Amino acid sequence: MVKPTRVTNSIRALRFAAGEMTQADLADRVGVTRQTIIAIEQGKYSPTLEMAFRIARVFRVPLDEVFQYPHEQDGQEGQG
Amino acid sequence: MAFLEKSNWVVLVVGVPTLLVYLFVVVPQVLGQPIAEISWVEPMIVTIVVFVVANVLGNVVAAASNPREADTNDERDREIDRLGERVGNWLIIAGSIVALVLAMARADHFWIANAIFLGGLAGSLVSAVTKIAAYHGPFQRW
Repeated sequence: MVKPTRVTNSIRALRFAAGEMTQADLADRVGVTRQTIIAIEQGKYSPTLEMAFRIARVFRVPLDEVFQYPHEQDGQEGQG
Repeated sequence: MAFLEKSNWVVLVVGVPTLLVYLFVVVPQVLGQPIAEISWVEPMIVTIVVFVVANVLGNVVAAASNPREADTNDERDREIDRLGERVGNWLIIAGSIVALVLAMARADHFWIANAIFLGGLAGSLVSAVTKIAAYHGPFQRW
């Protein structure tokens, strides 16, 4: 039913860099529950594209500074 | 814990004992006397009323313990809710199909009502377990 996501993220580091913003603060600013921020940080949940953009906007960084997707072994960039 | 997760814990905490008590009352009768003589309507009604009322009260208590959280749900909550409902609905449908077949076979009302009742209750419980599992494990849409 559930395959772990290959999408990784830098939310924890970005929160730290943003004055040690708490998960609750980020959740409030994005408009989601704190549990959802925790699940995203731990790689247990991949947000929708819209939520991903909202998170990136809070940190004022491009989307790919928040979320990363590993390159394929043949050197081609993965889709995601 | 998200409010919707608490709400599903309420379903489990209320639903499992309620179902067990119903089975404890009805199953010995099924084993010991003719189906037509079984007193099942009252226990079933009481079980349904207790299940519904206890769920409402449980949700009120859960909401009162953190009103702000009770008003908040997001896309993950909604997706988990949809997944759980989809899984639970299969059991409800299965119970309904069994009831339909029993009705076609002119089975006693007892069996028809219980197929629907147990399918519905089992569907609620499995739905709650699915949602709680989704809250704790990895959950992706694809």
